[in-house]
Amino acid sequence: MRSIDRLFENSSRSLARHTSRRSLLATLGKILTGAALIPLLPVDRSSRAEAAEAGGPATAKPPGKSGSKAKAATDDPLSCDYWKYCAVDGFLCSCCGGTSNSCPPGTAASPITWIGTCHNPADSRDYIVSYNDCCGKASCGNCECNRNEREKPMYRPSRNNDLNWCMANADSNYHCSVSVILGVAEK
Amino acid sequence: MKSCLMRAALLSLATCAPLLAAAPPPPLPAEHLTLTTLPPNSPHRIYVLDEAFLNEIDARIDLFDGDTYRRLGQIDAGFNPGFNLSPDGKTSVVSTTYWARGARGARTDVVEFTDNTNLSVTHEIVLPPKRAMTLPTYFNIGYSSDSHFLYVSYVTPAASFGVLDPAKGTVLDEIDTAGCVLVIPSGPNRVASLCESGRLQTVTLDAQGHEASRAMSDPFFDADTDPVFVQGVPITGGYAFLSFLGQVHEVDFSGAQPTFQKPWSLLSAADKAQNWRPGGAQVGAIHRKLGKLFVAMHRGGEGTHKAPGTEIWVFDMKTHQRVARWPMAPQKLASALAVQVSQDDAPLLFAATENADIAVFDALTGELRHVEKKFGQTPWLMMNP
Repeated sequence: MRSIDRLFENSSRSLARHTSRRSLLATLGKILTGAALIPLLPVDRSSRAEAAEAGGPATAKPPGKSGSKAKAATDDPLSCDYWKYCAVDGFLCSCCGGTSNSCPPGTAASPITWIGTCHNPADSRDYIVSYNDCCGKASCGNCECNRNEREKPMYRPSRNNDLNWCMANADSNYHCSVSVILGVAEK
Repeated sequence: MKSCLMRAALLSLATCAPLLAAAPPPPLPAEHLTLTTLPPNSPHRIYVLDEAFLNEIDARIDLFDGDTYRRLGQIDAGFNPGFNLSPDGKTSVVSTTYWARGARGARTDVVEFTDNTNLSVTHEIVLPPKRAMTLPTYFNIGYSSDSHFLYVSYVTPAASFGVLDPAKGTVLDEIDTAGCVLVIPSGPNRVASLCESGRLQTVTLDAQGHEASRAMSDPFFDADTDPVFVQGVPITGGYAFLSFLGQVHEVDFSGAQPTFQKPWSLLSAADKAQNWRPGGAQVGAIHRKLGKLFVAMHRGGEGTHKAPGTEIWVFDMKTHQRVARWPMAPQKLASALAVQVSQDDAPLLFAATENADIAVFDALTGELRHVEKKFGQTPWLMMNP
């Protein structure tokens, strides 16, 4: 929980720097509501089964890149099929000088983020994953990965991976994305 | 001595004779360096937004002619741009972000105006550093119907929008949208935004561009069970919003408040059983006069809403029946990430593929007319006058 506390503390500080009081209150309300909901986020195994059944390009299918059949999630952080990356849209920091949960040298982590729920086949648990962007340098351009399990359009920003989550950073350029485990998803 | 000279001259002539026969043509005339002017506007001209995702600070809009298959020119677009055309088609507007030292340094958010007759930037309006940095749609930036106002979507992540005076080059106001996003202009002074609750919030402005009133519609979709793509497709008087599961929500924005047609489905029971779904970056296009909807369709389950279309399906907007399906692979085409159709009587359908090719079809028959290979890097939105 400490990481969640830190996440939302940073979010609040960033918002205070970058938004008006009125919008701050509105957004804080949303974030607090989101924090309260995190342990309750639904875990929809049926949809995953549906994707696998259809043989559809549910995973590792970036725009602009040829897709392949859905592959089993792997434990390779350099692969877009790594289980934690189930809602990544961007460049994997593992391929950019960082790791799956560490920003590359010289960048800065975004304090605000979007959230996913991913299944780890190794222990059969579902985890809440925070997808922070790493900011302040131009696009890494390596290991483009676009997976969208439970991803929603930008009217639900906490679940949207199209927004540049570096938006509130002092250096707001987007470099790559990390996937940080926040905890096991409550059922 | 004289005869000696004569012999030498004759010998020289004889030696040179073959060369004289193959004398080079006269040299090319000197050229004048000129500046190409754009041909007159055409309904078959397309504006292709290349996000340049691998080097995202260098997005651009490339102009392409669907008749001559020629690239006509380029509009620079910076980072994660919004893009739209003025109602008369004469001006391109790009909302974008630059950093003072390329990838870093002081951030400037700005709207740039380009004269579409010569592709020169005519002027700009500097924005507060709040512009929504996201994928391009029709609704990142847009004009009022009379071109008096220009609206720009802001996300910080608090959501709001800027009201600009494009003629005077000023920012008139910022309107807080209480979490609803994007700018859907209608009439001379209304802006709607999409809300997480599945509703549309409409803000009506006064003559100075300040908020006069606002209203919230009834919900028309459910973000939990079947969210709509934010890539609305223009219809007469409004937009059609396609949902992840293939519902078509036609929304009429011509009145003071939006009204909703009964949604209809792209999918038959058999299509649903095969998991056909719409998807991509620009999911659909509509020829308004013909009432034809073109949708990029693929087979896939949850989480595949950005997957490109292995087929383009054509629907009659009146009968809601599918009238054609055009698979990409038999034409040796990669799947379609974005589709757009010209609005004239001999319409062209443009499809930007995941390989960044631009395919040009006869929109009436589906006949493939041309493939412009590797038109850019990541063409994710196509606009036309």
